[in-house]
Amino acid sequence: MAGVSMKDIKLRIRSMESTKQITKAMEMVASSKLRRAQERVLTSRPYFEALYETVTGIAAENWDFSSPYVQVREEGPVCEIVIAGDRGLAGGYNHNVIKLAQEDVKGKDAAILPVGKKALEYFRSHGHTVISDAYAEAAGLTSGDCFSLAKAICDGYREGKYSAVRLVYTSFVSVLTQTPYVLPLLPLPAPEKHEKARELTLYDPSSESVFNAIVPEYLGGLIYGALCESVASELGARRTAMDAATKNAEEMIDDLSLKYNRARQGAITQEITEIVAGADA
Amino acid sequence: MNAYHLQIVTPDGLRFDGEAQSLLVRTTTGDVGIRARHANYVAPLGMGVARVTIDGQERRGACVGGMVSVLKGEVRLLATSFEWAEDIDVERAKAAEANARAILDHPDQHDAETLELAEGRLRRALIRQSAAEKPQ
Repeated sequence: MAGVSMKDIKLRIRSMESTKQITKAMEMVASSKLRRAQERVLTSRPYFEALYETVTGIAAENWDFSSPYVQVREEGPVCEIVIAGDRGLAGGYNHNVIKLAQEDVKGKDAAILPVGKKALEYFRSHGHTVISDAYAEAAGLTSGDCFSLAKAICDGYREGKYSAVRLVYTSFVSVLTQTPYVLPLLPLPAPEKHEKARELTLYDPSSESVFNAIVPEYLGGLIYGALCESVASELGARRTAMDAATKNAEEMIDDLSLKYNRARQGAITQEITEIVAGADA
Repeated sequence: MNAYHLQIVTPDGLRFDGEAQSLLVRTTTGDVGIRARHANYVAPLGMGVARVTIDGQERRGACVGGMVSVLKGEVRLLATSFEWAEDIDVERAKAAEANARAILDHPDQHDAETLELAEGRLRRALIRQSAAEKPQ
């Protein structure tokens, strides 16, 4: 009896150990990739911020509404760009960002542009309109891909296919904290109605052509920045999740070793008792 | 010459952040020079050699795409790519030029997209080479 349970426990310890090895390896891979991703976030962030500030600044000072990018439209679906991961085992990373996107499109006519395999799978299986599945690999996207993606969206927006463009991504706050966000991209924020005299800006050659040339760049830059943030967030989340999994496996191994030793001791004690009883008789 | 605050940023990082006296860039409508106390100004960028004067010294760089903006005296050059002349790998640019020319020499063997890409590569390679050259 004791022998069988001892063997069972030994098998379970062994399987826990191999699980632990896998989670440990995944954690280490995520850590080393995270370092690179973090550097990429840090180098792209100034661009991301300067771009956002400049374009919203220009839009706020703008008084010419001839560009389609500043006009508010009522009709047409909202284009939602959702950036999630390619793989699971990253804690709540994919779930959080997809849930936020889901809430954001609830009750609206929406067309989803998923980036990352998990986002594509989710929105496809839940019956949403998926614009394109060309960006299913979030990890392999370059800045060039982001600019061509932005260009395609701008073309669609100008043709009146979408009423608005929104971006859902995960912001990399720190290795331990990642927050999902919704960033409205188009139409550009309308200028506030303020009384003081506006500073006039010179647009070369004209406000409309400046907007038409800048907006695809702006979108591409923001999507690239959001992608960098999301990739780093995914790795951060995976690292934390795998660290927790490794710790849990260790705890379980400790617990099982204790049980194993107890069973072994029990078996020995029983054997001695049997021998002594036999000698007495 | 008076100096002003200039930032040059690209998706690959900050290329310059500091005081400059003048900036000469190629916009889609032509070359534009910016000095201190320029009026608010926004223009999309073309492809070309940018010249920046810092402490009386002229620095050159290959600047491709993006926009230049002057907002309340702050000048920002948001480029899709920007490389200082000393960071340019001339050999690589020459190899890229040769590759692109090889494709463009046989326009009937490639589709329109490949040709367009090759043309873009050729132009960037030429700009990099001219930016890396010592000014006469």
